[in-house]
Amino acid sequence: MLGPADYLVWAIVALLEVCAVVSVIRQRSLKKYFTLVLYLCIAVLVDSARYAILATSGYRSQHYFYFYYYSDAVLTIVLFFALIGLYSRVFADMGIGKYLRAGTVLLLAATAGISYYMVNSSSDKFVTHFVDEISQNLYFVGVLLTYLLWAAMMKTRENRTRVVQLVLSLGIYFSAYAGSYALHNMYPHLEIWRYVAHFMSLWLPLSWAYTFVKVPEESRMATASVLVPNQ
Amino acid sequence: MSNKWLVVVVLVLLVLTGAMGLRNVVTAHAGAINVANGGAPIPPDVWSNGGAPIPPDAWSNGGAPIPPDAWSNGGAPIPPDARVN
Repeated sequence: MLGPADYLVWAIVALLEVCAVVSVIRQRSLKKYFTLVLYLCIAVLVDSARYAILATSGYRSQHYFYFYYYSDAVLTIVLFFALIGLYSRVFADMGIGKYLRAGTVLLLAATAGISYYMVNSSSDKFVTHFVDEISQNLYFVGVLLTYLLWAAMMKTRENRTRVVQLVLSLGIYFSAYAGSYALHNMYPHLEIWRYVAHFMSLWLPLSWAYTFVKVPEESRMATASVLVPNQ
Repeated sequence: MSNKWLVVVVLVLLVLTGAMGLRNVVTAHAGAINVANGGAPIPPDVWSNGGAPIPPDAWSNGGAPIPPDAWSNGGAPIPPDARVN
């Protein structure tokens, strides 16, 4: 059963998400971080709906189970677009917007195609399996895209503190989950994994809220300089 | 088709291949994974409704390759987090 810690984490996550959204709106940066704010807004709505379903149907109900995983797929897709939004911010000056959009659509379509192929043989509960599969596949696409974005940022000497922190926190979030999955596979019968995943859900709203509240838009990081020997 | 579009297609395919490979490495021989977008508690395994003993993990019986229709045995919905409990 759920304890006070479960509800506390849930409430803190929702509060941090609202805090980050309010901070972006107050700073009039909504256009710059639209996809991130969209993710946070949908996450708040989903959390509210999940709570309503949990309160009415119960934690062990089929309603909560299905709503949780269906809404999770929606959130993963929106998080994918949030990540693409960060790509747009990083590569804004390079004029590759149309290629980025085309690549995004192609990647999403290909992931959906692979997911369809994976569950094609399943005649029972096809939609449920498809939703689950595309959610997981998109998650791993996100893992890889985050690392690629970080490599590109290192290469282009990106120094906007906000963008750096947003991408890094996303990288830590994805990496922590990947690590916990690997450990989960090694020790699958430990009940602790449910709580690990639950507590890790704090990370993204916490780091994004901190970034939007504490780090000014114009803040820049000092990049490592190349030493040139005296002639 | 210009070279830039071909580069986009190649990059997409590389990312997709890499992501699927990473997924296979991380979740090898495992059931589905838990993703926790949002703060809601992850729902319990559907298998664990009621007091009956939890059946063995569908993915881990023997070392044989996982059959393509592993999901379609029986009518009950197989939970994504079958290995949690």
